[in-house]
Amino acid sequence: MDLHSYPRGENGRLEQILNQFFLKSLHMILDSRVPANRPSSRYGEVKKSDKWFNLVLGDRPSAMDNLSFWNRSFMEPMVIDIILVQESLKSSLEHSSITTLGSEMVTDTVIERWVVQHEHRRSVGHSISEASYKKTYKKSILLLRSIYSMLRLLPAYKAFRKRGSSQNCVFDINYKVCTYAVPFSREEDELMKRHNFIPIVTQQGALSVSSTYRKDLSDFIQDAFVSFPSEIITDYVGSPLTEPIRPFPTYSSEKGVRATSFPITGSQPTSSSALLRRHSWTSGIHGDASQKNQPYSGSPPLYRSPYEHSSSPTDVYGHRFQNQRSPACQKAAIDDLLSPPFSPSPSPSPPTYLYSGNPLHSRMRSETPPMSIPHPMMGRSPRYLSPNLSDPNRHSLPPLSPRSTKNDPSSQESSSGIRSIRKSDSLRTGEPSPGLTNLGPRVSRDSKEDSGRFSGPLSSSSSPRVGFSRSSSRLSFQDDFGDGDFTYPFIVDDVDPPDFQSR
Amino acid sequence: MNCEVCQLNELEVEHFEIREVLRCILHTILFHRALGLVRPKDVDLELFEITYVQCGDVEVERKIDEKIDQFIDRVEKHPKKKNQICLSFYEVKNKQATWFTNKVEHLYWEQWYINLNVMQHPKTPSGKSHHSKLVVDPGVEAGGARRVALEASLRDVLFQIIKFVNEKKDHVPSIPNLEGFLFPYEITISRCT
Repeated sequence: MDLHSYPRGENGRLEQILNQFFLKSLHMILDSRVPANRPSSRYGEVKKSDKWFNLVLGDRPSAMDNLSFWNRSFMEPMVIDIILVQESLKSSLEHSSITTLGSEMVTDTVIERWVVQHEHRRSVGHSISEASYKKTYKKSILLLRSIYSMLRLLPAYKAFRKRGSSQNCVFDINYKVCTYAVPFSREEDELMKRHNFIPIVTQQGALSVSSTYRKDLSDFIQDAFVSFPSEIITDYVGSPLTEPIRPFPTYSSEKGVRATSFPITGSQPTSSSALLRRHSWTSGIHGDASQKNQPYSGSPPLYRSPYEHSSSPTDVYGHRFQNQRSPACQKAAIDDLLSPPFSPSPSPSPPTYLYSGNPLHSRMRSETPPMSIPHPMMGRSPRYLSPNLSDPNRHSLPPLSPRSTKNDPSSQESSSGIRSIRKSDSLRTGEPSPGLTNLGPRVSRDSKEDSGRFSGPLSSSSSPRVGFSRSSSRLSFQDDFGDGDFTYPFIVDDVDPPDFQSR
Repeated sequence: MNCEVCQLNELEVEHFEIREVLRCILHTILFHRALGLVRPKDVDLELFEITYVQCGDVEVERKIDEKIDQFIDRVEKHPKKKNQICLSFYEVKNKQATWFTNKVEHLYWEQWYINLNVMQHPKTPSGKSHHSKLVVDPGVEAGGARRVALEASLRDVLFQIIKFVNEKKDHVPSIPNLEGFLFPYEITISRCT
């Protein structure tokens, strides 16, 4: 669809609200589930794009850099799977997808699934009233507040915090965004609980959000820091242990040092029954589901969180936020507070969803294994840090206090797949390697800000996924609104017409 | 406009848990009613493995702490009474004093009742133990179980808030009436009947 075919008038506003809702919810979910690899800029100047639904979330997570949206018709749902990835030497878990990475078994377990969709209902013919979309916008604000709170109450949040707070975590968290939901098996279903948010009825349908989540993650989290202590690999090539003729060096006889070997397992990855599959978006291309085994390029960076603490699970929640606050709450200008930052010129692109998973998982699924390319790691300093005083938008936001940043400037790069290969190599070449490596969503970060005509979501940046071609319509996440693009949907007496002129 | 009322589940808390529990509940409600531009602030409870969300305003934080202090004060003065905190949202009518009245009318459109049952324990004799060995207090295990139960109950209350906010949206005033980022509210402490 071209730029000019975006509906004008109130219909266009509604579609922008819906589009932004999808984006905002995706941002919130990934922000609180996928460990960030770059600092959040929640504190600082508030971009117009971040003012949608009056909820400032800061920069989008790097996980969103490789996703682009189409959502023009909102006909298809957005399904976000949060996947817990575990390396294990134990017997396979029953309800997980199991693959092998060399000599280790990797289990992927969907611990949470979010489904955001707008069930479209063909409108009778008359246009949407202004009051109607204002009401929709208000209800969307309320719904997003609820989703934000809920994200912190569900069990997966604990896993996210544990993963983000320690390098020696035995699991990693991955994600997948697509337009279909692979049904859970009966056994999996019994372990899950479902929460449906009350849908928002619009004149074009109903906007609904639901969450299906594992009730209990203690099996995955409890032994997070117990089962796999770091071990020194001594049976590397050239080790005296492998050459018995050579005298055994005295330094190798330290207590607690023992040879470690990883048995080669022969389990095959289980096949998943991808029923009800309509569209499987892979590598950012509107491709069919038959694409498989695409080579990957690059590797995701190793994640090191500045939020590193002791490995005791009890310490995870032992850190209070020490955000300082500035004294006064200044009232915001009405226009800045209440106007959805409508875009004048949305530009749709073909629906593209990206699967971000471990590229070496030999999944028997129809989507292409996810790939990632390395990118420099930035420290994570999201919501747990003190805000910055120098907020130019203090007139529109409660004042904040000085920021204390715990940025980890180290940048590490590795992909889940390549890291595993490197680990295998290190075993052979004699480099020490930790008992566990981190797998997961090592999404490369495109340092360039994508700009362009906005229809909604993110541009397709330099995708780490092989086969992903940079979309010609590089859509930015509403970073390029014109200065006069704000409309004020709620004041009846003073409403600027929506500015839908193309640039 | 109807006034929607939400009675939250009663929580049985120890004295030292009052502040954390009330902060968590009050801030969670206010975050859902701060419909102006906010930067959400995630806060970890120290006593429980729960993270709640604040709307991120110093003044709101100060007001809530002030009310919590008043509540604790009342509990200490009347330990055997059950007390209730009511968080009300209202619209202001008659903003200016008229010729006949100086009162400003508050039109309440939502009220939340937070019910806390503060447990009273007999004071244990203080003083140092002369025993060289560590004596395990059998009450410690019971306290641990109680804490776990309270955490689950508190989580249920937060889910209750989210459920209420989700189910009832029509009574929320339109946002153009919002001055600042939060609807006018007041917190009152009353005795349970």
